[in-house]
Amino acid sequence: MSAFWYYVFTLVFFLFDYFILAMGLNIQYGETGILNFAYIGFVAVGAYITGVTGMPSSAGTGQQYILGWGLPFPINLILGGLTASALALVVALIALRRLRTDYLAVVLISLSLVLYDVINNYVPLFNGADGLYNVPEPLAGFFKLTTNSFVPFFAMLTGVVAVIMWWVMSRITKAPLGRTLRAIRDDDGVAATLGKSVFRYKLTSMLIGSFYAGVGGGLIIQFGGSFNPTAWLPGETFVVFAVILVGGVGNNIGLLVGALLVETLLIHLPAFLPSIPGHPGLIEYIDTMVVGVLLMVMLWFRPQGVVPERIRRSPFTLAKRSGQTLDDRAVVVPVAPVEITTAVGQETTNG
Amino acid sequence: MAERNEPVAEGVFALRCQELKKSFQGVMAVTGATFDVPQGMITALIGPNGAGKTTVVNILSGMMKSDSGHMQIGSTDVTNWESHKIARMGLMRTFQLSRELGGLTVLENLLVAPQHQSGESLFNIFFRPGRAKREERENTERALEILNTYGLYDLRDKRSRELSGGQKKLLEIARGVMASPKILLLDEPMAGVNPALIDRIGGYIMDLKAQGMTIVMVEHNLNVVEKICDHVIVLAEGRTLATGRLSDLRANEEVVHAYLGEVINASTTR
Ligand SMILES: Nc1ncnc2c1ncn2[C@@H]1O[C@H](COP(=O)(O)OP(=O)(O)OP(=O)(O)O)[C@@H](O)[C@H]1O
Ligand SMILES: [Mg+2]
Repeated sequence: MSAFWYYVFTLVFFLFDYFILAMGLNIQYGETGILNFAYIGFVAVGAYITGVTGMPSSAGTGQQYILGWGLPFPINLILGGLTASALALVVALIALRRLRTDYLAVVLISLSLVLYDVINNYVPLFNGADGLYNVPEPLAGFFKLTTNSFVPFFAMLTGVVAVIMWWVMSRITKAPLGRTLRAIRDDDGVAATLGKSVFRYKLTSMLIGSFYAGVGGGLIIQFGGSFNPTAWLPGETFVVFAVILVGGVGNNIGLLVGALLVETLLIHLPAFLPSIPGHPGLIEYIDTMVVGVLLMVMLWFRPQGVVPERIRRSPFTLAKRSGQTLDDRAVVVPVAPVEITTAVGQETTNG
Repeated sequence: MAERNEPVAEGVFALRCQELKKSFQGVMAVTGATFDVPQGMITALIGPNGAGKTTVVNILSGMMKSDSGHMQIGSTDVTNWESHKIARMGLMRTFQLSRELGGLTVLENLLVAPQHQSGESLFNIFFRPGRAKREERENTERALEILNTYGLYDLRDKRSRELSGGQKKLLEIARGVMASPKILLLDEPMAGVNPALIDRIGGYIMDLKAQGMTIVMVEHNLNVVEKICDHVIVLAEGRTLATGRLSDLRANEEVVHAYLGEVINASTTR
């Protein structure tokens, strides 16, 4: 396979993978209003756990890591997602019940930094700063894939996973559950007075979103075969935020567009450009700046994103239901007004 | 309207509170609110600006914890319960400054209100989709009927943050009604709306009472209180000054002095 197609499929992989990551952050932030600034931490946990549950025991690998169960794909991937959710459960029980959105955001930033330091420095966990490498290519033996054919294969497989996860997410966001999450996003005090357990729903949203984060991370380590702390600097969270803000918060199709614009075209495509002579790595820095500028421009001129959240119209109307008239204008059946303002002789506008 | 001015003393109480107190960093907002709300009637909560009416409503709806005191809904002690649990006891409220769920449409604002919807659980979404859909359809039909009654039907697919102030007031009441509460607390439902709409909202409130709902409304307009309220609670400087029928309160010098004075003179000299 030519280098060209190798690049193309790498881009395709990241498009689908960031679509998954964006869906996870979107249900937390876009639907529920939770500012999860530790999102990339959940992605990393998913990646590491997918790695160490899929890799054989660490003895003789030259690496140090826990578990080493040698589980087949996709069981290790699902475990990665579930572990990210488990971490979310712990965080939620400690911080979600008590804290307001903004304080929670600060706690989550700190969490992300702590998590980073622990994993980076505590070698026996996930091999410290060197990270995991030589992670087996999933299903390669089963389908007799070569190093070359693995890339397009796994990019397409990620596409299939993304489509399944998109279908699941659409069901959730279209259901009354999604509506209740959006009610909490708009005003959690009102949602509570309407009988909604805000904590329970925020927790649900955290768990679902973190599962998506974990699976997205798991796919990254399976695709690249390695994962180390440089892959998930805490600032990476903002790339995922950029994806959903540019694409359109609260709209699943918008997220795919955001993943294409930000992740594929701005972050990954330039990495394949020849470096500027004498300035290695400069392109990556310019890249990060371009994402920042794009984010500001979008927030200023088109805060709703490229594909805005759509209005969810009801399929039902009174007229259609009762079959009285063909147009769906309401037959207003008002309750008789009480004469309050008119009775005391006050001036009225049209009473 | 014959039952409007029946005595309420020996009736059943939907809501009772004793010696509720609340201060904000030294500011005593509520210093001793004690009153009973008679079941199935319209009770007015009146008092000067800053008397603590909204704070009482906030405590009753669980949005604020009282520093001391007790409250009970029916025969259940619900002192300092979380708001969603109080809501499930059948108490709903509206806000003095409308708090619509702005990103949701008018119809969706109502659809959030029903309790324990099947489609709110992950399990049901994927494993009992039929049941969730059926329930959603029933809820939607009921919501459309309510919107029709409240004159908001044509606005059903509009984002609620785009409504006018008066429309938002109506939406707040309609959303509360959609939850089928036993007790509805209305914080100044008629503030800032035109006279014709005041009459209409008055009609809605009377209609809710006719359906058996217990209403508590914070209200400054004594014409409204006179016309539709059965029972009045006067709050001044954070404590209950008097309770009773408006006509009795007019004879109460303390009340007249604290609050009613000018207003009564204004409306009786016409
Ligand atoms: N969240 C708060 N923080 C600090 N002080 C508050 C708060 N809410 C109310 N107060 C104070 O408590 C007192 C009572 O306020 P409250 O809103 O209950 O009055 P009210 O009777 O509803 O008045 P109005 O008729 O103007 O609506 C006021 O002095 C107010 O400044
Ligand atoms: Mg008030």
